[in-house]
Amino acid sequence: MTAQPLTAPALADGAARPRFELRASAVVGISMICAVLLLAAIPPLIPGFDAMAQDLRSARIAPFADAAHPLGTDALGRDLLSRVSLASSVTLGITLAVVCMNALIGSTAGIVAGYFGGRTEALFSVVSNTTLAMPVVLLLIAISAVVPPSAGLTIVVLGCTWWVGYARVTRNVASSLRRQDFVVAPLTQGADAIWVLTRHIVPNVWPHTLIIAATDIATIVLIESSLEYLGLGVQPPVPSWGSMIFEGQQYLGSDPWLAILPGLVMFLAVAGTQFLSQQFTAESRGSLLRKGGM
Amino acid sequence: MIGFLLRRLGLAAATLFAVVTIAFLLGRATGAPGALLLPDNATTEDIAALNASLGFDLPLIVQYFSYVAGLFAGDFGDSYRLREPALGLILARLPATFELALSAFSVGLALALVVALSIQLTGSRALRAIAGWAGALRQSVPDFFFGLLLVLVFSVTLSVLPSLGRTSPASLVLPVITLATGQFVMYLRLLDAALSEQADQDYVRTAFAQGQTRSTILVTQMLPNALLPVLGMAGLNLGGLLGGTVVVEVVFAWPGLGQLLTNAVSQRDFPIVQAGLLFVALMFVFVNIVVDIVVYRIDPRTSLA
Repeated sequence: MTAQPLTAPALADGAARPRFELRASAVVGISMICAVLLLAAIPPLIPGFDAMAQDLRSARIAPFADAAHPLGTDALGRDLLSRVSLASSVTLGITLAVVCMNALIGSTAGIVAGYFGGRTEALFSVVSNTTLAMPVVLLLIAISAVVPPSAGLTIVVLGCTWWVGYARVTRNVASSLRRQDFVVAPLTQGADAIWVLTRHIVPNVWPHTLIIAATDIATIVLIESSLEYLGLGVQPPVPSWGSMIFEGQQYLGSDPWLAILPGLVMFLAVAGTQFLSQQFTAESRGSLLRKGGM
Repeated sequence: MIGFLLRRLGLAAATLFAVVTIAFLLGRATGAPGALLLPDNATTEDIAALNASLGFDLPLIVQYFSYVAGLFAGDFGDSYRLREPALGLILARLPATFELALSAFSVGLALALVVALSIQLTGSRALRAIAGWAGALRQSVPDFFFGLLLVLVFSVTLSVLPSLGRTSPASLVLPVITLATGQFVMYLRLLDAALSEQADQDYVRTAFAQGQTRSTILVTQMLPNALLPVLGMAGLNLGGLLGGTVVVEVVFAWPGLGQLLTNAVSQRDFPIVQAGLLFVALMFVFVNIVVDIVVYRIDPRTSLA
């Protein structure tokens, strides 16, 4: 028998791929995400909109009251539309970086632990339990006593701590693949672990990583904005959704829109990704999820 | 049982060792605190003397061993500012944090139980869909923003509930609703999935064949089995629960651990932060051992990995 390259079957059960249908919730989700992306992208292109320029004479103008400031101004007279727009870019950028780091670290750890098992897996348990034992909020509070908080610090700390979910799932997938014929066969023919991992394990694992990443975007936005609310993220004068809500909180009685506006944009982004990710999870889990009805 | 316990304790010890080392290294990374603690006109000798009295002149490994030895004696270090044991300061704030965290956990779980059982009893798809959507919408805003919306409605507009502090039982209402509604969805999904899975099992069919009523089977037979995954999840989620409580405490000016730690950071009082991190991690490890043992005692099928 010649050494014929064995590749993983695309669909393990060989069933016909169901026709791809866009669910109604996915359409709603995509619209919400597009709204946020447009909000982040368009205002910087219009001349005259400045997220930093202060004008104390026109402080706290209500939304829709002044054509120069369509969404009003904050307590320092800064244009709210520009600030919410910049905050969206900042938060989405940080989120993207964090999710990529999580997916990379978590999937690598999970694949290695699941494929090699034994001591590697025991080490993995200790490391993942340690990161779970220290709540990320407390850890960031502790670290910010050492290093001044910044966007970079948030990315590194969240990026290095929120990967356990990816690792758990990919470990299970990798350890169940490890005993399958198409993985064992190349080993008997002299292939090394690197070959098996890159040719057979990774292609079967990454769809799972992608699904977790899609659902995790919302979680990361929520955690990140909580950190920013506590003053542990992007530093002023650069705005973020969390810090804008914190600044608006003291005017809740008189000018509630200062806190509600950034909160509303955050809601659009998070709910949008949740609705959209239901499409992925429904595709992947099929009947299991539909049975649950959620 | 003994082997399982030993393996579990070994894992816990390794986790604790890692946490202690991280907390220690973070503490040393802040640098010697002498210059920070003494007035501006202090001499270099004074600063060096204070650092030496705090043990900062010793080699790192010696400091580490004395730190670990201190932990075994219950010494989590002293606050730089107040010159009091940090552990005492944390324990003083703990009742307030526990009150909030446990009330929120109970309310969230009770709510999820009621809804999950109603779904199973009525078989209503509409109820399941509505509860699921309401939960998903609630999870689309962070706790601190939901809390602010509650304050806006119930404190600012309606003036029926207090928004700040811990002065009367009524001050508990808004923070507990904030935290409980956030957790409700997670428990509901777990319970609903577990109950639906149990409904297909042979023992349930047998019980029906014996003529037991639907509600009896649900409460006495299916529910105990369905609670197991929720229990495990709640244990693993303890860190997240306490972290979330910290943020909500700041929103409602709740005098708990969160307020103590955020104030300690702004005053650069690192031993308190270090002790807080360590204490929460200790609690996490302890609760998870208890959860593992409880699950093991209840469910002999548990794979003891």
